[in-house]
Amino acid sequence: MKTVRIWFKKLGAARFISHLDLNRCMARAVHMAKIPLWYTQGFNPHAFITFALPLSLGVRGERECMDMKIDETKITDEELLLRLQKTLPADLPVFAVTDPKEKPGKIAYALYELKMCSETPENAETDLFQKWESFLNQEKIPAEKRSKSGPLVVDLKPDLQIRKIFQDGETIYTEVLLPAGSEYNLNPSLLVETFRSQSGASFFCEYTRHCLYNKQMEPFQ
Amino acid sequence: MQRMNPNMEKIWMKVQKPSRYTGGELNSVIKNKEDVDVRFAFCFPDVYEVGMSHLGMKILYGILNEMDGVWCERVFAPWIDMEEQLRDAHLDLYALESGDSLREFDILGFTLQYELSYSNILNMLDMSGIPLLASQREGLKNLVVAGGPCACNPEPLADFVDLFFLGEGEEIDKELILLYRKCKQENVGKQEFLIQAAQIPGVYVPSLYDVKYKENGTISSVTPLCGAPAKITKRVMNDLDSMYFPDRFVVPYLDIVHNRAVSEVLRGCIRGCRFCQAGFIYRPFREKSVETINRQCKSLCENTGYDEISLSSLSTSDYRQLNPLLDKLLTWTEDARVGISLPSLRVDNFSTEVMDKIKTVRRSGLTFAPEAGTQRLRDVINKNVTEEELMKTVSTAFKGGWNSIKLYFMIGLPTETLEDIEGIVNLGQKVVDAFYANPDRPKGRGVSVSVSASGFVPKPFTPFQWEPQDTVKELREKQKHLVNCVHSRKLECNYHEAVVSFLEGVFARGDRRLGPVLLEAHRQGCKFDGWNDCFSYEKWMRAFQICKVDPAFYANRRRSFDEILPWDHLDYGITKEFLIRECKKAYQAEITPNCMQKCSACGASCFKGGICVEDRTDLV
Repeated sequence: MKTVRIWFKKLGAARFISHLDLNRCMARAVHMAKIPLWYTQGFNPHAFITFALPLSLGVRGERECMDMKIDETKITDEELLLRLQKTLPADLPVFAVTDPKEKPGKIAYALYELKMCSETPENAETDLFQKWESFLNQEKIPAEKRSKSGPLVVDLKPDLQIRKIFQDGETIYTEVLLPAGSEYNLNPSLLVETFRSQSGASFFCEYTRHCLYNKQMEPFQ
Repeated sequence: MQRMNPNMEKIWMKVQKPSRYTGGELNSVIKNKEDVDVRFAFCFPDVYEVGMSHLGMKILYGILNEMDGVWCERVFAPWIDMEEQLRDAHLDLYALESGDSLREFDILGFTLQYELSYSNILNMLDMSGIPLLASQREGLKNLVVAGGPCACNPEPLADFVDLFFLGEGEEIDKELILLYRKCKQENVGKQEFLIQAAQIPGVYVPSLYDVKYKENGTISSVTPLCGAPAKITKRVMNDLDSMYFPDRFVVPYLDIVHNRAVSEVLRGCIRGCRFCQAGFIYRPFREKSVETINRQCKSLCENTGYDEISLSSLSTSDYRQLNPLLDKLLTWTEDARVGISLPSLRVDNFSTEVMDKIKTVRRSGLTFAPEAGTQRLRDVINKNVTEEELMKTVSTAFKGGWNSIKLYFMIGLPTETLEDIEGIVNLGQKVVDAFYANPDRPKGRGVSVSVSASGFVPKPFTPFQWEPQDTVKELREKQKHLVNCVHSRKLECNYHEAVVSFLEGVFARGDRRLGPVLLEAHRQGCKFDGWNDCFSYEKWMRAFQICKVDPAFYANRRRSFDEILPWDHLDYGITKEFLIRECKKAYQAEITPNCMQKCSACGASCFKGGICVEDRTDLV
């Protein structure tokens, strides 16, 4: 028995699958692919599949991963990859199977791309771009974050690392690195929604998570 | 392929459960539009989770997509939040595969599963900018067709639907599409197409029938026009083994109502419970062979990844090869970690053997339907189940470790008295007592028995089709009495909203004069009438008032045996003489043996299939 890490993308229609449904969808694909899984030994045996850091609904994922325990004497990693590619829907492509090098707890940052389009016409993009830049350049960005102990006001500014920001035609692209993982996680929509309510701007934002990193800023493996 | 309008994504971000609207599921069929000359939208007038659970859609989706040049796509009624978003953005309702508006489709096929979804049909057409009235849709494009159980009295929808399919759809849908293609190529007009379509056995074109009424509001005559047949006989598939069955289902991302592989083990029903429309309109009783079911289950599991198989039918324990079938399935299901579930078990033949076989995998609650609280009333409705049998069955179940039992009843049945209502609670209480009387009961756990009572709705093609339905007031009084009789906390009691049963009753036995009411109700904003959070009795009553139609005429009036009923020109095999005989026997609380025991000459033998033509020496 060994644990393998399966790398996949979450695109198109699959972005709108909730985490619970993603779990079920993966379980069916694994079942269909006849992967020699290791099952929990309890009263109601079920496959052991865990996701490193589930994505929010609607967010595209370019490098997502899940771990599962398999019987490695019965299947090679290459075969596993091929079989899963056949049984998963087109919007959930699997692109690699590796040994897990780090535990999901080592995840410290996530790199997101935000694509914003103004919803009010007439040169509104430039206006939106200015508003967005000045919002990000504030000394403090207080935001209300939901937590287990109720709403919590946090300052987003110190945790925020803007990697890229530019305007291309009607679209504003922003690449932002945010703390991620089980210890402290910031959802990019918190940043965007705080901007929306502060600026009163009307726009649509599309989110993509490109990569997860550890504390040393190496891609999570 | 640019499948969806990019604006759609913005909308999906704003609605609940966006996976209902995205498409892209495993096994959904995408075709190249250039290779397609007939586009068919299979429209289910309810939400995705309900529609996707429907086996008929999976079968027809498979059949139509196997046809060259035909592309069948799925459309479901969007929930209120999605409708609002679509309307705000001026976007049409679209099909899940292509993302195209319903306006792009040649044929829109609606399935009529229950009367309370009719308002959704209108709303779905409206959301696509398609004229609601059949008479306003010129040309062949956007032909609206419908089938399913409620097509056995389609008259309330006659103004909106161009043609109906009666009976089973496996062959008739294909035949109609071939005719449609030919007429489209030859530029034949809509009227001429409909006249030709009416010649396909099982196709009912309502506009080709002239209905006249008497002064008292009942029907005086139904006259076929343009050579349409005087009687339209439903279609039946006699050989279930050679019949098409999909080897793959579209597998939803979302958890739906029945999220599992389904194999039909039989069609029809031998029982003849007098309230049950399905028990009559699906006759004759036909079984699939063990080999076929086993093969179909296996390929379904392989192509979908489902780990649960449901053996579906009106009454699965009436399948004569049930034990051999389970044994066959168990040869591979355990290794494949696939569970088996049997949805429709009967009280009188629930066995420990079957129970042991299905419980190897997963155990949910058990549900039984005694339907009536006293033996007298059970005899009236021909539900041949005795209290003794129920007690034996629940004791077996309790011994086997089950501790949650659901019992289904109806209130408002013909000849019912308050004593029968009390009987419901007494029966529920006896089930509770049976649990505590059982020395082998699961330790440390209590029992939960839930009694659920729905209002009886008389339906066409049943022996009760002439009966008056209880009024809302009467139903409410009976519900109140039911609740007052409960004295145990182990016994939970639910009932259905009486006004909903009333509306169902109106449309079940309605005629063409309900068309304007439906249209008005749609204007008033009625939709999702089967959903408590949407149903508005006030809006419906306003619609009846505006159209000057009395709903009680349809629901609460006793018909005489010689009255021409709105569905009399439709032939489901069952004869009126048989239904009258059964109705009279009901008043005498006299039971009728099931088709296995004795043929009661219902008329379904005209289809020359299934149990009707079996060579059985055991029959007298």
